[in-house]
Amino acid sequence: MTMPKLPQWLKEVGWRTVAGALLLGGIIHILATMAVPIVSSGHAFARLQESLPLNQMVVLPPPAPGKQPLPFLPPDALYAMCRYDISVDLVLVTAPMAQAGWTLSLHTPQGDNFYVMPAQESRRGTVSLTLVPSAERLGEFATTPRRISAQETQVASPSWQGLVVLRAPLKGLAWRAETEAALRRASCTPVKRS
Amino acid sequence: MPSARGPERGRRSWPTRGCHLSLIANILVNVTVFVLLAVGGGLGSAWYMIEAGSRLSTRTAGPWTTWSAAGRSDADPYTRAHIVRDGLLPLASTLEITYQAKADSRGGRLHSGCEYTIVMDHFGATWWSLAAFDGQGGLIPNAAERFAFNSDNVMREPDGRAIIALARDARPGNWLPISGSRVNLVLTVQDPAWAAAVYEGGAKPLPAIQRLACR
Repeated sequence: MTMPKLPQWLKEVGWRTVAGALLLGGIIHILATMAVPIVSSGHAFARLQESLPLNQMVVLPPPAPGKQPLPFLPPDALYAMCRYDISVDLVLVTAPMAQAGWTLSLHTPQGDNFYVMPAQESRRGTVSLTLVPSAERLGEFATTPRRISAQETQVASPSWQGLVVLRAPLKGLAWRAETEAALRRASCTPVKRS
Repeated sequence: MPSARGPERGRRSWPTRGCHLSLIANILVNVTVFVLLAVGGGLGSAWYMIEAGSRLSTRTAGPWTTWSAAGRSDADPYTRAHIVRDGLLPLASTLEITYQAKADSRGGRLHSGCEYTIVMDHFGATWWSLAAFDGQGGLIPNAAERFAFNSDNVMREPDGRAIIALARDARPGNWLPISGSRVNLVLTVQDPAWAAAVYEGGAKPLPAIQRLACR
């Protein structure tokens, strides 16, 4: 069995060229991978930013062709979302967890889901939580007061801004009005730091 | 009057020029290969790892693939780039797991010109959802306005299984309409134990996507 003959020009390529190219290629690979989250303008937070007023819960229209808020978003659910900013005030989130399958989730602008609460048979009703800056964030403003009522659940946000997403799976079209009404009870309210 | 050394000098210059040309060609070949290999290889491999994924960042079961660290704050750079680039907003894999399929169980690209069937019988009481999207993640328009089935609204067989038919034209039972060209399926399973097992590298049984016929 004979080896295929290499083209003449390929024999001109030195091993130093190949080694250097592989090294530089590796560096470009790493830089490109790390740069995508920084330079990409199509991430979920950027796509939703225009349609979500700050610190207000918005019930989104049912997903439909051409009117999806995000790609690959499960269409058999209704959504309420809130774009929060806790750089000035804290934000109080209240959400009705009406049925098993409902989820309340918090996301950073980079898409990290740093908190999620599913509704369960044993845990229904309205949940309430206050978004506060994480210790790392407060370190940048060490004088910022952070005294909050002891009765409330506090969730530390790793970023000043982010998204609150309340997802309500739809059992069928007959449940749409009831589900939308429940979603409208969700709220996102700025709370003065005391 | 030509000197006696003239022709001799001329004869010597030809091999020198040939060496120069050969050297220039050699440099050009090396520079071209260097740039192609470094830039093309670096960017191409990054694109592949972000778009398609590898065993470093994804788990595969038959035609189904999941980015197991999606939504987690400790996600690897490829998963992070994939999520941002595609504009996704996943729940962390501590609660649920999302699989995507672009091909049927025999490896053929999912296409609206074909008809498929999926038997959902692996999930027990776990909440699941199966949705059909086009190649860009958009919903597929259809007169029935049906884009997904889930464990709450699917019709079941007497033995508890749910058989879902993907086809362009109406089918009896759980018909999920598809049209256009390429089709992507997204399967969401809400089960913390399941999600944790997959994140740790364990395998879970997932339904096959059987191609029945093509036009």
